[in-house]
Amino acid sequence: MSSDVRFTDFKSDKQPTWCPGCGDFGTMNGMMKALANTGNDPDNTFVVAGIGCSGKIGTYMHSYALHGVHGRALPVGTGVKMARPDIEVMVAGGDGDGYSIGAGHFVHAVRRNVDMTYVVMDNRIYGLTKGQASPTSRSDFETSTTPEGPKQPPVNPLALALASGASFIAQSFSSDAMRHAEIVEKAIEHDGFGFVNVFSPCVTFNDVDTYDYFRDSLVDLEEEGHDPTDYEAAKEVILDSDKEYQGVLYQDENSVPYHEQHGVTEDMSEIPDGAPEDAMDLVREFY
Amino acid sequence: MAEDLNWAVGGEAGDGIDSTGKIFAQALARAGRHVFTSKDFASRIRGGYTAYKIRTSVEQVQSVVDRLDILVALTQRTIDENLDELHEGSAIIYDGERSWEAEIPDEMTAVDVPLKSLAEEAGGAIMRNIVALGAACEITGFDVEYLDEALEKRFGGKGSKIVENNKAAARAGQEYVQENYDLDHLGYNIETTDSDYVLLNGNEAIGMGAIAAGCRFYAGYPITPATSIMEYLTGRIEEYGGHVVQAEDELSAINMSLGAARAGARSMTATSGAGIDLMTETFGLVATSETPLVIADVQRSGPSTGMPTKQEQGDLNMALYGGHGEVPRFVVAPTSITECFWKTVEAFNLAEKYQTPVFLVSDLAMSVTEQTFPPEAFDMDEVEIDRGKLVDEDEVDEWLDAQGHFRAHAVTDDGVSPRAIPGTTDAAHMSTGLEHDELGRRTEAEDERVHQVDKRNRKVETARDDEDWDYREFGDPDADNLIISWGSNEGALVEALDYLREDGIDVHVISVPYIHPRPDLTEEIEAADETIVVECNANGQFADVIEHDVLTRVKRINKYTGVRFKADELADDITEKLSEEVPA
Repeated sequence: MSSDVRFTDFKSDKQPTWCPGCGDFGTMNGMMKALANTGNDPDNTFVVAGIGCSGKIGTYMHSYALHGVHGRALPVGTGVKMARPDIEVMVAGGDGDGYSIGAGHFVHAVRRNVDMTYVVMDNRIYGLTKGQASPTSRSDFETSTTPEGPKQPPVNPLALALASGASFIAQSFSSDAMRHAEIVEKAIEHDGFGFVNVFSPCVTFNDVDTYDYFRDSLVDLEEEGHDPTDYEAAKEVILDSDKEYQGVLYQDENSVPYHEQHGVTEDMSEIPDGAPEDAMDLVREFY
Repeated sequence: MAEDLNWAVGGEAGDGIDSTGKIFAQALARAGRHVFTSKDFASRIRGGYTAYKIRTSVEQVQSVVDRLDILVALTQRTIDENLDELHEGSAIIYDGERSWEAEIPDEMTAVDVPLKSLAEEAGGAIMRNIVALGAACEITGFDVEYLDEALEKRFGGKGSKIVENNKAAARAGQEYVQENYDLDHLGYNIETTDSDYVLLNGNEAIGMGAIAAGCRFYAGYPITPATSIMEYLTGRIEEYGGHVVQAEDELSAINMSLGAARAGARSMTATSGAGIDLMTETFGLVATSETPLVIADVQRSGPSTGMPTKQEQGDLNMALYGGHGEVPRFVVAPTSITECFWKTVEAFNLAEKYQTPVFLVSDLAMSVTEQTFPPEAFDMDEVEIDRGKLVDEDEVDEWLDAQGHFRAHAVTDDGVSPRAIPGTTDAAHMSTGLEHDELGRRTEAEDERVHQVDKRNRKVETARDDEDWDYREFGDPDADNLIISWGSNEGALVEALDYLREDGIDVHVISVPYIHPRPDLTEEIEAADETIVVECNANGQFADVIEHDVLTRVKRINKYTGVRFKADELADDITEKLSEEVPA
C-alpha cells in the first residue's frame, strides 16, 4: 500500500455515460475518496458491480474490478474476499440489483458478515430500463409498469439488514459529498460487512425522490446525537418510516468478521507446483 | 470371469443399511478383495426400500450383474425387490423372530437368525445388522477378523466398549449359523489375499482430485447426488489453506466461485441437473471474463426434479450448449472412479491454461458407487499443475499498452491472454460480461466484437491442437463391431466383453472422456461395420454429437430407467442391437 495515493488514482480515463446530474457521480467520487483515505490503492482494491446504471461503476473507476450479472455482485465479492483476505473488496449495486433480483444474496451476505463494503445507489427507480418501479419505489409512485403506483410498501433495506443480523448499517446522500465519503470510509474501516444505502437521485425518471427532496428532508444522525452502538436506538430510527436519515445507524462493536470466525486467512492464490506434500494421506484415508 | 460373490443388505431407509454395507465392503477391501458397490435408494429420509449391494472378487470388478448370492433381508420387500436376481444357491439371512412372516421361495436357502435378540445380548438391538454380518461371514467362509478391523475403523472414535460390543455381535451371528446350519453345500468360500485396497466413490475421487490440484475454494448448494463432493471437501480443504462455503443457492455458489477464481484461487462448484440450470446464467460471464472455473455436474434423472436419486446421463446437451450466446468451454467426462480423480486434476489445468469454464460431467452411478483400487491408482507424484499465463509482477510491462493499461484480453495467436490477479502492481483492470476491448472496457465496435469472439473461440481451437484428446479402448480393435460410450458406462461395457466373447461376438469398445473438444472417431467408425453408442438417456445426446461429426447414422442403446447398465444385461442389448437394421 502506498501512502501517497490520491482519490483520482481510482479514476479511469473512461468518461461516465450517466445522465448529467445523476447521483451516481457523487456516490462514486465518495467511494474513491474513502478508498484513498483508508490507505488503499488500485492494485489492492477489487470493485464488484452488478447490472444497471450502478453497474457501470467498475468501468469508471480504476482498480481490479468485475462487472457481473444482475443481482449477483455480492456473491462475487464474497468469493474474492474469501480467496484474498489481503484485498480490499467493495461491492456496488443499485436498488433493483440489491433489493429485488439480489435480495436473497443481500440477506445472506449480511449474515455472513464478510469483511467488505457494500454501497447501494438507491434512486428508487429502474433507470437504465427507462423508468419502471423499483423495490424501494413509493407505493403511489406512477411509472410505465405501475400506472397507479406499485400499491405495495417499499422494501426498507435498512430494516432488512438489521433483521438479517447486520453489523454495520449506514445511509448517505450522494450530494452531501463530505458526509457521504466519511460514511463510506467508516464502512470500509468496519470489521465486517459494511452496508451503506446511498440516496443517489435519478434526475431523468424520478421526479419525487429528488435532490431537493433529500436536501430538505434528511436528518443527520450525528447532529441528533444518535449512538449507533445502541441497538434499541438503531432499531427505532431504522423502523421510523416518517423520516429520512443519514449517518451510521447501527454498528456492532463486537462484530467478528467471517474470516476470523472461520479461520479463512490464507492467500488462496498461492499453490504448490504439484499435489501437496502430504497428499497421499488423502488416499490413505480410504483404507 | 473371476469367481465372484454378490452380497446385499436391504431394508427401510433409516435401518442403517448404508453403514452395514460400507462396513462389509471395507472388511473385504482389507482382506485384499476387490469390491464394487451399488445402492438402491429412494428420495426420502426414513422409510422406503433401500439396499446396498456388494460385488466382490479377487480381480478388479467394475460393474453390477444380475445375480445375488447372499441377501440380508430386513423386510419382505427386500426379498421381493431382488427376486429376479436370486437363484437356487442364494442364501437369505432374515430374522424369524420379527413380526413379519418371511416368504422365501423354496429353492433358496433361508437362514433364520434371531438378529435382534442376539444383538440385545451383545449390548443393543441397534447392532442387529452387525449380527447379520457375522452370519454372512460364516456362510461365505470369510475370516471374521477382517470384519473386526472394519468395526474398529468405524466405531473406534466412539470408544473401546462400542467396538467390543460390535465384535461380540458379529461373533454371535457367526456362531449362531455355525451351530444351527450346515451350509457347506452352497460352496461359498471367500478367498483373501495379502493386498489391501482403498475403497472410495466417484464424488470422493473428485473432491480428492480437487485438493490435489490445488483447489482452494469451493462454494456449493446441497443437491443430490453432488452434495458429497462438498461434504468431502468440508473439513479437509481447510488443512490445505482452503475453504468451503454453503451458499444460499446455486446462483450464489457459481458467482462466489467465480469471484474466488478471479482473485487467483483455483476454484470449483458442483451441482446436479436443476442446479446447473440456475448456474447457466453465469456460464457466459465466466467465459467472457475469461475466468478459470471448474463446474462439476453430477447428473441425475431429469428433467425438472425428475428422479433425484436415480441414474441418468441427460445433461450432456446442457454442458455442451447451455447458456445464451456462444460460450467457449471444455466438457470433460470421467469414465471411472479413478478418472474422476485424474480428470478433475486435468479440469483445473485446462481451466487455467485456457481461462474458460470447464464442465466436469459425472453421474449418479459413479457418485455413489464405491470401488476398490490399489492406492497407486491415485499416485500424487503424478499430479502436475499448470497455471497457464498467470503473469508475475515483472511480466506485467510486456502486456501494457502505450498508456500503461494492462491488456487483460490481449488478442493473441493462441487466443489466451495474460492473466493478472489482484495485488499485481500496475495490472489493475476490469473484467466484464459485456463485450469489451483488449483492456476489458465495454465496446460495441464491430471489429472489436469480432476480435474478442474469435479470440475466445481460438482458445478451444488451440487446445484442440495442443492437448491429447485421447480415449480408452477395450476389446478387439480389429473387430467389425464398434461400441462408443461416455461416462460411467465404461465398467459395464468392459465386463460385457466377457459375456459377448463367450457367445463368440468380438467388439471394439471406445470410451470417450472428452466431449468437447473430443477425439475424432471418423476413421474408427468408417472402419467398423456397425457402430453403437451406449448411454443412459432416452434420446442419445452423445450419439447425436457423433453423427454430427461423422455424418453417418449410428445405432443407439439408451437406458433411462434410472438404473445404471449391468454388464450381463448390456451384453444382451448389444447382441440384440447388432442384429437390427442400421437406421436410414
